[in-house]
Amino acid sequence: MGTATARRPSVLRMAGGGVHFDGLKAVDDVSIEVRSGQVVGLIGPNGSGKTTTLNLLSGMLRASAGTIRLDDVDLTSMSMRKRVRLGVVRTFQSGRVFARLTVLENVEAAALGSGLGRRRARALAAGIIDELGLRPDADRRAESLTAGRIRITAIARALACRPRFLLLDEPAAGQNESEAVSLIRSIRGFAQDRDCGVLLVEHDMAVVMQTCDHLHVLDSGRTVAEGAPADVRRDPRVIEIYFGKRH
Amino acid sequence: MKMFASSSRSAQTPILLVCLGLLTALVGATAGLTVGRVAMVTLISLVFVIGQSTFTGNSGVMSFGHVAFMAIGAYTTAYLTIPVPLKGVLFAELPHSLRFLAHVHAPFIPAVLLSGLAALVLGLVTAPVVARLSGLQSGIATLALLVVVYNVLNSWTAVTRGSSSMIGIPRNTTTWLAFAFVVAAVIVSWAYKKSRSGLQLQASREDYWAAVASGVAVGRHRAVAWILSAFLCGVSGSLYAGFLMSFNVNAFFLSATFAFTVMIVIGGYLSLSGAVVGAVAVSVLQEFLRRLQDGEFTGGSALPAGLADLLLAAVLLIVLIKAPLGLMGVRELRLPGRRRSQRAEAAKGAAGAEGEVRAPV
Ligand SMILES: Nc1ncnc2c1ncn2[C@@H]1O[C@H](COP(=O)(O)OP(=O)(O)OP(=O)(O)O)[C@@H](O)[C@H]1O
Ligand SMILES: [Mg+2]
Repeated sequence: MGTATARRPSVLRMAGGGVHFDGLKAVDDVSIEVRSGQVVGLIGPNGSGKTTTLNLLSGMLRASAGTIRLDDVDLTSMSMRKRVRLGVVRTFQSGRVFARLTVLENVEAAALGSGLGRRRARALAAGIIDELGLRPDADRRAESLTAGRIRITAIARALACRPRFLLLDEPAAGQNESEAVSLIRSIRGFAQDRDCGVLLVEHDMAVVMQTCDHLHVLDSGRTVAEGAPADVRRDPRVIEIYFGKRH
Repeated sequence: MKMFASSSRSAQTPILLVCLGLLTALVGATAGLTVGRVAMVTLISLVFVIGQSTFTGNSGVMSFGHVAFMAIGAYTTAYLTIPVPLKGVLFAELPHSLRFLAHVHAPFIPAVLLSGLAALVLGLVTAPVVARLSGLQSGIATLALLVVVYNVLNSWTAVTRGSSSMIGIPRNTTTWLAFAFVVAAVIVSWAYKKSRSGLQLQASREDYWAAVASGVAVGRHRAVAWILSAFLCGVSGSLYAGFLMSFNVNAFFLSATFAFTVMIVIGGYLSLSGAVVGAVAVSVLQEFLRRLQDGEFTGGSALPAGLADLLLAAVLLIVLIKAPLGLMGVRELRLPGRRRSQRAEAAKGAAGAEGEVRAPV
């Protein structure tokens, strides 16, 4: 996998990105940047626009304002599939595996989708399945797995697309404690070994704190804070959002 | 390693499907005229449903238009095999640009393949539309294809004889020839299912957006499957023409579409085995019901007309309620094995729709 061929460090960047649904500004003037090898956390309360931001970056939604670029390439109006081919790959908050295909087929289909030939797709899929500990389930249909394993299958599938930027929407949801811990460790591993940039949407502050190099906090579609995790945690607006409103 | 066990064992399914076809052919070759005829129609239906399933099973997109491909195949075969002198009489009013059609002639097997190719061309022309549609839209669009082709065949009298029958087609379709094409269709369809394109198309069947998010060019793979299935359905139309010797445009319209849809839906429209099992099961059932209606089991007194259709509809409803994905669900036929994972799965899915019916082997 993580061949040490030093690729030129890349940047995936959304500048002033925005989209609205019937007047609701789901994402409003958000600028966010991920560099290869970096894990950026995207946090915020329910409905704050995290998934919508991922939708904009991945091309599932077209931005009505702002630009999205991968280095010199303008992605703003590029189709989702073309972005995948350039290495911008996302997972879904709800998993969305290919339910009635086996785990191996799930991962292999993605490897084929990203343009590999049959044999290389097989080899890549087998490697990723081993890497994520999915081997015992490789020949089982995805729908028969536990929620946690389904998540991991979805991540395996994203890795099979050979991402340069990996956009993960709450990957630890539905995982039990130990699964979550090892997943977090793997996410750091993806960034380091694959020199891949990771944008991690996550609710759990503790998880975010130990995983991310940089944090970006959204509330009601707007950026309320960003910076190093330790600083963001001390930001009064973040404290209010995360701890103030609860009581 | 163990991980790839499923692929090494996957030749089981096509072999079992061919065995079902062989059984049908053996019955046809040894039984009397009536049963022989039923067996022949079953074999030809098998080629058709295998063709349609190549598209619907992998894409999950239902089609009501494949009979149009069958029609193109049948008409092409008529043109290629009716003796030239007879064609001069039948098609005296061919437009000038199509005059050459009165003189073309081909031996049967090339004619079958050319008929498949003619249907493939129609598939090629319609593929861009099919590639873009799903769900209800594609149901309507494929039905529109059927209606358009039917109307053209019905109205273009100078070329198609309109509503008059095509006659004088030599009988070339033998039981064993039909069986040979069943074998070929199983191989082609299975190979497609296991191909790169087939796997990606199945991924899009399971979740369209997740497939796109994995880089899958869904439209392209849909088009490939559509064109391949057009070819196979064209072949079945050709075999049908070579069996009937004369046919009418009405043979390729709604009632045929309904009959094939029943086979595919009862068997399970998401799997190749489903199409094959459905075609055989429905053919047997229909013959049984026909005999029932004719009074064969009630001491010779015929039962009310329409009873057979009514009972067939009832069976369809029961299957749809009990197993919405048909007898096979997304499963393929396999010998009962010691596959732990499969069994665990079956136990887990027992509450679900597909766990209900075991493969009849
Ligand atoms: N397709 C859509 N149509 C209309 N409104 C939408 C759509 N998608 C999202 N929204 C709205 O946009 C806002 C942001 O939603 P989004 O899913 O991005 O939030 P989120 O931060 O991912 O929340 P969660 O933590 O619950 O996943 C919400 O108010 C949501 O209701
Ligand atoms: Mg979300």
